[in-house]
Amino acid sequence: MDPLLISRLFLFALATPAFAALLGLLLRRVSWSNTLTQVLFALSGLVGLGAVALLALEMFAGSLSSLQIGGLGVLQPLGVPFLGIIYAGVLLTSFYSIAALAKYKEIYVLPWLNVASALFLIGMQAVVLAPSVLTFLLAWELMSIAAYFLVIADRTEDSLRAGFLYFVMTHLGFLALAAGLLILSGGNPLLSWAELAQGAATLGALPLSLAFALLFAGFGSKAGLVPLHQWLPYAHPQAPSGSSALLSGVMLKVAVFGFLQSLTFFPSLLFPWMLVVLLLGLVSAFFGALHAAVENDAKRLLAWSSIENMGLIFAGIALYFLTSGTAALAPLAPLFALFVMLHILNHFLFKSGLFMAAGVIQSATHTRDLDSLGGLARRWPLFSGVVLALSLAAAALPPLGTFFGEWALVQALALGLGAGDPASRFTALLVLSSVALVGGLAIFAFVKFFSLVFLGRARTEAAEHAGALSWILATPVAICALLSLGVGLVAFPLISGIPVGKLFGAEVVVAPGAGIDPTLVALILAAPALALWLITRVLRTKIRITDTWDCGAPLTPRMQYTSTGFAAPIRFFFRTLLGARREIITTPVVASNPWVTKKHLDWQIHSIWEVWLYKPLGHGIVRVAHSVRRLQSGVVQFYLLLVLLTLILTLFIAL
Amino acid sequence: MTILLPTLLILLASPLTVGLVRKFKALFQNRRGASIFQPYWALLSLLRKDMTITRYSSWVFHTVPFVVLGSTIALAALVPAVPIAGTYGNVFLIAGVLALGSVFLVLGGMDTASTFGNMGSSREMSLIALVEPPLFIVFASLALFAGSFGMGDIIAHFTSATAGSHVLTAVTLIALFFVVLAENARYPVDNPATHLELTMVHEAMMLEYSGPYLALLEYASAIKLTVLGTLFVSLLLPSFAASGTVLALLFLGKLILAAFLVAFVESTIVKMRFYRMQEYMALAFLFALGGAALIILSKLSGAV
Repeated sequence: MDPLLISRLFLFALATPAFAALLGLLLRRVSWSNTLTQVLFALSGLVGLGAVALLALEMFAGSLSSLQIGGLGVLQPLGVPFLGIIYAGVLLTSFYSIAALAKYKEIYVLPWLNVASALFLIGMQAVVLAPSVLTFLLAWELMSIAAYFLVIADRTEDSLRAGFLYFVMTHLGFLALAAGLLILSGGNPLLSWAELAQGAATLGALPLSLAFALLFAGFGSKAGLVPLHQWLPYAHPQAPSGSSALLSGVMLKVAVFGFLQSLTFFPSLLFPWMLVVLLLGLVSAFFGALHAAVENDAKRLLAWSSIENMGLIFAGIALYFLTSGTAALAPLAPLFALFVMLHILNHFLFKSGLFMAAGVIQSATHTRDLDSLGGLARRWPLFSGVVLALSLAAAALPPLGTFFGEWALVQALALGLGAGDPASRFTALLVLSSVALVGGLAIFAFVKFFSLVFLGRARTEAAEHAGALSWILATPVAICALLSLGVGLVAFPLISGIPVGKLFGAEVVVAPGAGIDPTLVALILAAPALALWLITRVLRTKIRITDTWDCGAPLTPRMQYTSTGFAAPIRFFFRTLLGARREIITTPVVASNPWVTKKHLDWQIHSIWEVWLYKPLGHGIVRVAHSVRRLQSGVVQFYLLLVLLTLILTLFIAL
Repeated sequence: MTILLPTLLILLASPLTVGLVRKFKALFQNRRGASIFQPYWALLSLLRKDMTITRYSSWVFHTVPFVVLGSTIALAALVPAVPIAGTYGNVFLIAGVLALGSVFLVLGGMDTASTFGNMGSSREMSLIALVEPPLFIVFASLALFAGSFGMGDIIAHFTSATAGSHVLTAVTLIALFFVVLAENARYPVDNPATHLELTMVHEAMMLEYSGPYLALLEYASAIKLTVLGTLFVSLLLPSFAASGTVLALLFLGKLILAAFLVAFVESTIVKMRFYRMQEYMALAFLFALGGAALIILSKLSGAV
């Protein structure tokens, strides 16, 4: 295929969103303007996906190692899968938004929301394509600012507050990125990546360390790593659901891309820093999973789970670099790379699907509160099956794709118990334990998510009367679920090096004694269940539909467990780490009789990072500001003295 | 064929394990107890009965028994009753299949609109989340000891290893025993004999099931007990794991031993309060870590 044609396709995909948004703005009086814009967005995603596929084929064949895209930049192999995820995300969410946004014409100003979306899409693509420091920073800022407008799109108090938090955090992150990149480039923002890497090779250990810390802080804050994660669970859920899917499913991957790309600039010095990345990744994964397990807001639960998965991905990246440098551990490195690649893909699929599903649920029931939902599986049997598949994928259970990615991670860690020096073996043991704990909590969170929304009886009127489901809304979610299954059956063996012709029924053996066969896994799980189902058909059992066993007193929907109740054991077990507090407040109804009382349970959980890090930091800054204020005495002579002192100091330093 | 026969053996013998446990428990309590074949008749009579199903349940409720029993049969196939060489039955796949079955049982308990089912589900889910770390560590250390991640290889390695090296796995096996008790909802984690709402986990989730569905779920829990119980015995007393013509007899021996162990534990200790389960799990986790450390150190020093 002609490289020029492929690069033109990329240019088309890059430019179309802007054109679509402008068209939507011009035609904003027309009733089908949103549909037109979204269809054009989807078209750009489709064309982009096609270009990515063509380019990937060329690269596999070895006829092309990088691609010049117009005058904009050079696409390196690293960027190709990330662009693929961006375009797939655009395609799915735009199709979804045709129907999803149409319901919210009163709340969102659709033409301007679409302008923000278009800028966001262009920004994300530009980050991946950016050839130099300056263009990268501009693209990053475009993406971040556009995301801010997506977060505050409904202009409610909550959104504005979440948006403000996001705005501050993303700019702190931007400053760190700019500083880190400028240290590497020697202060010249116009350097291309190749020149930057050359320059960085001559830097000493101290500036390199500083640059790494700043870059990690910048990309980590965007990816929601602890302790810079505080904004993510507030900001991502506030955007319209299609945009939430893009923010959590796609933008976080762009942060991963940025981090991976910046790692290529560091000639050495990775080892100690990678331990920091590993530690923070695991801590993020743990806190993300823990908060997801006790969260009651459907979309916020998904956002917490994004923190968990980003933590795992960063931990995987760190493990890759920690192992690839040592001869004894080098055989494990490809397994960690396999995990990172699969998990980026899997997390994109199930998180986008689940955010869109949460949007469907929210628009039908007008709530995201898990305590108020329930019983939707009887109303939407097919859709609930799709969400069940996605929830199982999010919980990393077989036979869905996520399981195979995490299998590679766990397998590599377990192999690490028997390789390398004692320190690395015991590190592997501890990492394996934390990954297992995170996995357990993730299963908890997503079983809770699915069963509270879909099973049992509706807990409120709104959930009881959820209307019919539009197929436009359900299709992208179903595609995500199908692809999740496909990742396990096709992508996992393919990336592991099984030739295309033998994808099904081939065992992926990653080390002597460690192998798994995805087809057999699917078969061994599906065949007995199906056989049993056929056998029970023969019995022709008579079924009587009755009430739930109620011990003689009629049950009400309120007697079911709520999300709060379901997570009570986890809240109790981890109460110290959650800052959980509960008290039963008893108020006498009649003042004269202390026995007739009204009881009410008051409970809350905190982010301990907020209590132990953010608040002391904020107080500290305020205190410093207070002491600085003492200088402001209003006496002119004092100010003159200060000017004089500054002058003397400056002269002293300059001479 | 090598996989099919042992699996069939497990499937056939599982109700017997439950019968044996009950018999041993009865003997401990100075009762004569029911016949050890009683569970077979109980399952068959459940198959012949009608079902009552609550009006508040969805298709998920109907899917659960098939997935739970299906995944348990898969478990029986993945944890062979005899050593099968190769990477077949990867330990982490086994952990995943175990979790899948538990998750669907939890979904069944949630799809009843009943507080009992919900309570059992919430508790079971919390236990599953906490049992993952010890389970993974135990499996990883067994694999490290055996040099292979296939369950068949691991069992085979135990049969051929020297007595001295067996001692090294003792701590890991203690942790495995903790995990097996928790996975099978036995004492001190859960009480399989009562229908008293304050103590139950597993039974609460199955409360709304009746007739053939209940038979499928009961059968699944019998298979799970047999698979994990015989696995534990195979690793504890490896001579029982040898393959050959006396396979069936040896398997029966393992079954009796496993049932006796479970009955012995249930007759000598009390159930723990649910809100102290984190202590039990932490203990299991510490044993698992200690066992793993022992095996790692001995591998480093070249002792095994």
